[in-house]
Amino acid sequence: FRFKDSLAEDLGRADLVISHAGAGSCLETLEKGKPLVVVTNEKLMNNHQLELAKQLHRGGHVFCCNCSTLVETLQSMDLSTLKPFPPGQPEKFALFLDKVVGFQ
Amino acid sequence: TGGHTTEILRLLSCLSESYSPRHYIFADSDKMSEAKIRSFEQKRAETFSNSQFTLDRIPRSREVRQSWTSSVVTTLYSILYSLPLTYKLKPDLILCNGPGTCVPVCISALLLGLLGIKRAIIVYVESICRVETLSLSGKILYYFSDYFIVQWPHLKEKYPKSVYLGRIV
Repeated sequence: FRFKDSLAEDLGRADLVISHAGAGSCLETLEKGKPLVVVTNEKLMNNHQLELAKQLHRGGHVFCCNCSTLVETLQSMDLSTLKPFPPGQPEKFALFLDKVVGFQ
Repeated sequence: TGGHTTEILRLLSCLSESYSPRHYIFADSDKMSEAKIRSFEQKRAETFSNSQFTLDRIPRSREVRQSWTSSVVTTLYSILYSLPLTYKLKPDLILCNGPGTCVPVCISALLLGLLGIKRAIIVYVESICRVETLSLSGKILYYFSDYFIVQWPHLKEKYPKSVYLGRIV
């Protein structure tokens, strides 16, 4: 398919996701608790995509590879070693903002 | 734009209805944000009866990787455009998270504050994508915002005046 408004349905049914390092794709996948392999291409990518992918990899939340090492990664990876990525907490932001603005 | 809109809507998700009316400002070249915002506000209206919001578009200040000199010109143009809009809205609080669009609006708000017309609190939340370095908007607004929030500890170390609350989107 070309462009869908939302991949939520497809993500829900997937057992494994292989994705580029776009933040939206990565975070949406991790929130659904799906194992994720991030394929990076340092020549094409914006700096900020790479930063997040590196951080997720450091935290053990995703597998990282590039196009040439993808097959090898898929063959050798152990999905049970992936650590869950807890969701962000916007309620902390709300508490902070309430204090800043003076609503208590 | 896209990712920024998704993040900012998540930031808004836990805010009480005291944060009303909400004025959304985004780039004229942005095709997708309007739909996301309307969907968010529609859902919100199911819980809060008196929900009010507006949408405004301003010229995009800078395209990705646009050159420095032309960026100054386009940003100045965006400031000229956003000044009357900010004057009209006279916000108490400006919440922004990084697209180039936010810089002219914040600069307009700062000018209005300096002129004694309206002083807004500027809260900037850097994107979750920024783990080690700040975006260009972030680098500028670090000095001009009242509260500058980062989502990874490394940035808190690098930018000590920032606020770190953990991951909030």
